[in-house]
Amino acid sequence: MDFKLSEEQELIRKNMREFAEKHVDPIAVEIDEESRHPAELFSKLAAGGWMGIPIPVEYGGSGSDYLTHIVAVEELSRSCASTGFTVSIHVGIASMLVLLFGTEDQKKNVLVPMAKGEKLGAFVLTEPGAGTDVMAATTTAVLDGNDYVLNGTKTFTSNGPTGDFYMVFAWTDKAAGRKGMSAFIVPRGTAGLEVGTHFKKMGLRSSQTSEMVFRDCRIPKENILGKEGAGLVMAMTGFDHGRVGIASQSTGIIQAALDESIRYSKERVQFGQPISRNQAISWMIADMATDLQAARFLTYHAAWMKDQGKPFSKEAAMAKLFTSEAAMRHTIKAVQIHGGYGYVKGAKVERLMRDAKITEIYEGTSEAQRMVISGNVLR
Amino acid sequence: MPNVIACFKWVVDEAYVRSGASGDLDLSSVDYKISDYDKNALEEAAAVRERSGGVVTAVTVGVPEAGKGVKDALSRGPDKAFFIRDPAFRDLEPSQTAAIMAEVIRDRIPFDLILCGEGSSDLYARQVGPRLAEILGIPCLTGVQKITIEGTRLVAERRTEEGVDVAEAALPALVTVLPDINTPRIPGVRDTLMASKKETTVIGKEDLPTLPRETMKTLSMKTASLKRQGVRFTAERDDVAAFVDALVRKGVLE
Repeated sequence: MDFKLSEEQELIRKNMREFAEKHVDPIAVEIDEESRHPAELFSKLAAGGWMGIPIPVEYGGSGSDYLTHIVAVEELSRSCASTGFTVSIHVGIASMLVLLFGTEDQKKNVLVPMAKGEKLGAFVLTEPGAGTDVMAATTTAVLDGNDYVLNGTKTFTSNGPTGDFYMVFAWTDKAAGRKGMSAFIVPRGTAGLEVGTHFKKMGLRSSQTSEMVFRDCRIPKENILGKEGAGLVMAMTGFDHGRVGIASQSTGIIQAALDESIRYSKERVQFGQPISRNQAISWMIADMATDLQAARFLTYHAAWMKDQGKPFSKEAAMAKLFTSEAAMRHTIKAVQIHGGYGYVKGAKVERLMRDAKITEIYEGTSEAQRMVISGNVLR
Repeated sequence: MPNVIACFKWVVDEAYVRSGASGDLDLSSVDYKISDYDKNALEEAAAVRERSGGVVTAVTVGVPEAGKGVKDALSRGPDKAFFIRDPAFRDLEPSQTAAIMAEVIRDRIPFDLILCGEGSSDLYARQVGPRLAEILGIPCLTGVQKITIEGTRLVAERRTEEGVDVAEAALPALVTVLPDINTPRIPGVRDTLMASKKETTVIGKEDLPTLPRETMKTLSMKTASLKRQGVRFTAERDDVAAFVDALVRKGVLE
């Protein structure tokens, strides 16, 4: 076994750390408070090739692998989970879907600008009545001449307000059941597509989320992604990739909670000694460090499986489940360690705790991950 | 079009140094990095090439594990690298490092300008640059915050305790740079991935004449410790007196 990242991966991690300390840390509090998408930051991410790490060079990417992308998302999320997530959705789901299922033309016209970071991608699946239960979706796509006509309402679309290319899932043949759903690439600004305003959320506030309403939204039939009827497979593929992304985001959150807890508990003096000398505190930190190690290994292993071309649904679900629950658990502890100082706006641990909660919910709740995992092991 | 050499050292990243139980330095889980000011030297070499063309060569002396540092350096702009390596090249003294570099540079790398960091992040002896220039018999300008190349001459702004000293030298010359000279880049993903595709010439101890002997011996290395006393004083008259008394006892006041 080899638990070591390559020298390149280690250097890339270091460079992302430096990038995040220089460009992300200084604005993280402000973009959270203002719920703002930092466009200026994304131009810098694009210039460094961070918006397309696993996409081949011929399609505008950096030509590395999924694990390297995951390591970068972790380091980015350690500074700002919202930014890490925006990159994760864009690369891990939207761009990967075009890479895996797109035509040569789609790769040239859609993937290239996405991988270069000039355009932002989004995964448009969730509906008011359908989340993990993809089959409960009601959005339809009807072929009319040379166009598909989309109708329906999507919600909780991450990168909705800021996206340029939307990967939209809709029924082309509801009667065909699991083989009746298809995916489409809908560019921003298409007539009939109304992008709602950005939701104000508890956490992950600078990641932009909105409703998307399709009213007789016509797109050329060439915009179908993959084959008609293959939507469900693509949705599941998107989830698998995305879950490893959430796992790396959660790992970054745990790392940040640990960093802050170590720093604060060594500084904070009560009863004549730093609180880190109290077993009640030091054991919390021990548990945090242990779960961080486990989180990282589960996440990297899932990404490695993907890079090896092996099925990784179960590994992705396990990594997502464990890391997100650990992130929630330990950010609560990190706030506890900080006491009153951790409850004040501007304290990093306060933001980490709010950001952590969503990791247990999106891209499949913890309960949905347990369904996937148990389905796999009881088979 | 000047040929520029940028020298760098692969050093312990001080952020990872811990203090051991008995006050010694615990280096068991350290990571390494390119010495801070050497990043400025590499960046300035890339800037010179940007302005005047030419070829940039990165040079380092170190242990075989410093190969990661060579990749790091190459991701920051140089066209190629010379990696002078041997397991014995750990903790070299500045005189030895300078002698080894001079040996390699003299016969193998054409140059008009050599850039070094003002001092290394670990020892900060500030000797390798001046010694290297002395051995090669070229002018040396230290503490430089700005350089301009005018034909075959170099104009450098040196920061001194008195102010800024503008000095000129004929090329070839050696310059040691301060961090103010530029802001080192953060390499992009592609820069890192392409680094190992660049040409690296590896030179071993066996390719070099006998090394100068070491002249110093490290007896021990201890951490600088900061112990908090946790004593509190208020602004009350008695406490102020007690505070002054405490400072006198610590030798802060006489």
